[in-house]
Amino acid sequence: MITYIIRRLLYTIPIIFGVLVVTFILFNIVSGDVSDQIAGKAASAETIKEIRAEYGWDKPLFLSWDSQFINHLKNSLTFQFGRSWSDRELIITKIKQGALPSLSLTVPMFIGELVISISLALIVAFLRGTIIDILSVFICVVLMSVPFLSFILFGQYFLAFKWGLFPVYFWPDLPLPQYVALPILIGIVAGLGGNLRFYRTVMLDELRNDYVRTAFAKGLGTGSVLFRHVLKNAMIPIITQVILAIPFLFLGSLLLERFFGIPGLGYLMIDAIAARDFQIINAMTFIGAILFVVFNLITDICYSIVDPRVSFE
Amino acid sequence: MRYCFCAILLLIAGCRYSANNPDPNDTVLYSAHSAKVRGLDPGDVGDTTSAIVASQMIECLYQYHYLKRPYQVVPCLAESMPAMSGDGLVYTIKIKKGVRFYDDACFKDGKGRELKAGDFVFAWKRIADIKYLSKNWWIFDNKIIGLDEFRQYSKTCKTAADVDYNTPVEGLQTPDDWTLIIKLKGRPWPQIVDLLAHLPTAPMAKEAVDYYGKDIINHPVGTGPYKLKRWHKGSYIEMVKNPTFRDEFYPSEGEPNDIKNGLLADAGKKLPLTNRLVSVLIQENPPLWFLFLQGKIDVSGIPKDNFSEAIDLRQQLTPEMKARNIKLFTFRDPSTYWFGFNMEDEVLGKNLPLRMALSCAVDRDKYIELFTNNRGEPAYGFIPPLMSSYNPDIKNIAQTSYNVQKARKLVKEAEQIYGSKLPTLTLAMPGTDIVFRQEGDFLKRCFKDAGLDVEMDYMDWPTFQNKIKTKSAQMFTLGWIGDIPDVENFLQLFYSKNISPGSNNFNYSNPEFDKIYEKASIMPDSPEREALYRKAEEIVVKDCPAVFLVHGVAFILTHDWAYNVKPHAFAYGTAKYRRVDEAKKAAYSELLRTLK
Repeated sequence: MITYIIRRLLYTIPIIFGVLVVTFILFNIVSGDVSDQIAGKAASAETIKEIRAEYGWDKPLFLSWDSQFINHLKNSLTFQFGRSWSDRELIITKIKQGALPSLSLTVPMFIGELVISISLALIVAFLRGTIIDILSVFICVVLMSVPFLSFILFGQYFLAFKWGLFPVYFWPDLPLPQYVALPILIGIVAGLGGNLRFYRTVMLDELRNDYVRTAFAKGLGTGSVLFRHVLKNAMIPIITQVILAIPFLFLGSLLLERFFGIPGLGYLMIDAIAARDFQIINAMTFIGAILFVVFNLITDICYSIVDPRVSFE
Repeated sequence: MRYCFCAILLLIAGCRYSANNPDPNDTVLYSAHSAKVRGLDPGDVGDTTSAIVASQMIECLYQYHYLKRPYQVVPCLAESMPAMSGDGLVYTIKIKKGVRFYDDACFKDGKGRELKAGDFVFAWKRIADIKYLSKNWWIFDNKIIGLDEFRQYSKTCKTAADVDYNTPVEGLQTPDDWTLIIKLKGRPWPQIVDLLAHLPTAPMAKEAVDYYGKDIINHPVGTGPYKLKRWHKGSYIEMVKNPTFRDEFYPSEGEPNDIKNGLLADAGKKLPLTNRLVSVLIQENPPLWFLFLQGKIDVSGIPKDNFSEAIDLRQQLTPEMKARNIKLFTFRDPSTYWFGFNMEDEVLGKNLPLRMALSCAVDRDKYIELFTNNRGEPAYGFIPPLMSSYNPDIKNIAQTSYNVQKARKLVKEAEQIYGSKLPTLTLAMPGTDIVFRQEGDFLKRCFKDAGLDVEMDYMDWPTFQNKIKTKSAQMFTLGWIGDIPDVENFLQLFYSKNISPGSNNFNYSNPEFDKIYEKASIMPDSPEREALYRKAEEIVVKDCPAVFLVHGVAFILTHDWAYNVKPHAFAYGTAKYRRVDEAKKAAYSELLRTLK
């Protein structure tokens, strides 16, 4: 297993390098020069020149030890992303500050969505072909068809504004659980359709196996068969889905954070996109790529834990 | 049923939502901003939101009278208005004694020290220091003796830390701690007084810059009525009353209607009138509107999508708003928006009938109705109507009002000048979203009606700026919001020495205009200067370097518990005058229940 992990870690080197090359080309070459934007409305050419020097944009792109690309590699690999050009604040500080609000939204949302959808999936799979199953598929398709923004607008208007059950927006004097409650609820409901359908399919595949019939024949209770045996055997696709979703939890939720004023990484990202703050977008892309690679590795390791048939050889 | 639906999450939330102010004696003014506060270092502030927030904590030598109109500059940190030498080249400004920076960790024992004239000199040298990369050098560029040399010197320094702020600047002298002498570079600068009321010229304590370094953007240290308490980046900012704020009182004079409108009820009261200010950042319109209607925000603009809910066809409040005791304020803002022509373009530059045809083809009233919810006035010149130099006759002088028949005739003339059928023209649009595309479609149709083919080139803002700076845009959509009441701020946009990459994006050049600009821009405020400003505008509109489209009109809503609200086009630090009646505010939830 150790050899496997080392081999996989070595594979990550070209992947990370590829990500760095792509982000450099996207944010330093294709995206254009933002010095004018930084300099303000009546900036002189000399101020723009000085700005380019300050951010290192006057250096050669590739062919030098002090080139923009080499600096991009060095800074990214040491997590020294520099300062945001839009507010001159350290990017790494912004990311650290945004991580907790994002996680306080995405983690409960993720866990809630997972628990509810897996539990419901087991039930509807067990009741396949019945009116409950058909109804659940219909509701899932409806939920999947409604744009995410509609859930936000509906929830914010009815649950928060009209009925006053939740705060409309982040509010300075409120404790964190109060203002994340509604976005969590919206996130869970909006994600339920797709997840429920996916897990229902997974469960149906398992329920058709012989061991399920055997278990029932031996007199095991429904709960025991579903939650102890079927769920365990359905873990491979669940793990793939779950662990690969974890990196996205760190990156926050763009729309929910913006509509509810949660100062997380999703908000940071959407703000950076609007302001064309490529330094931040680059940093977030790089961190996202690393998380994705790491959690991919964890997924593979988890396969062997839940299914002894999976070998690292 | 709906309560059952949310029961689980309410358990998580702990209790039913309640955000009322817990202390009835505490007065809090809640406001919302739709753009984030980028930084609170006055020398580098370049956006309106940051300027509004910073201005509650940081003061300048001068400020605008809150109530009087036309806008009038009055002393703030200065003892009196500046004494000017006979030739207008030397200004002597006495600074109020006993004014203190508010307490901050950057000072010895955390106690704010007294403001000195040297703090202004330090602040202005910072703006001149090229290593500091201030967005506000344009204020002092080529104005004060020795300051440009200081900038050149800073350029020779290797790093920002190498710049020695003790390097003397001849034009900035402080014979004592309360006297500031400004010597100008051989040319009067009458706009200086207005600009000394502009946030970037605020004083800066060197201790604060040394203590916080680059993080000074997060730690404003000023002399203002409020001080920073909490700043949750990207979410909200809270300011509390500065206990060491000097004695400043609510004005006792204003316009004739101010007494009737209750704006002088607090005359003579010590400022600020509210204990705390909370500014919440809300970038999406629905939550902003919901919060305002819930009474969580005291003062707000009107989101475009909610305009018809708030304002009826007569531009008055709808019954629903009136039932909530909401008040409406409208005021002209100092803005003009246009489609500019690149006067160096082969097709447009030499063809006045073509430029006039384009101008006559645009239905300004329809544009204002479609894209601003009627929050604008048609523009035919560049001077906004709230400026004293505005010429009410400019529409007749320009001869470019909407007239399709005339536009068609002008197109024929233009074709004769061009020598053949006119080519397709290109209008650069500084955005790619749906609103820009809708605007583009509207304009395309207007031009088509006049027999002109115009294609839209949608692009992001940096690309757009780059096109303009490099003179490669044929036509472009842009505008200008005046920083100060002096129209020179608009006139410089047409001065030939400012052509791209300078602020004259039209690349317009007219020696007659330049002559008047050079003369008027150094004259003190007077009827003669106003006449020259108008003359200069006449010259421009006759040359038609742009389709002047619209002057902005702002709509502001307030709840009835917010008092002393009088919109101001140039002043930002006005929260100190506002008063909140917390009892009335508390009663609003009862009113909402009744309305339901």
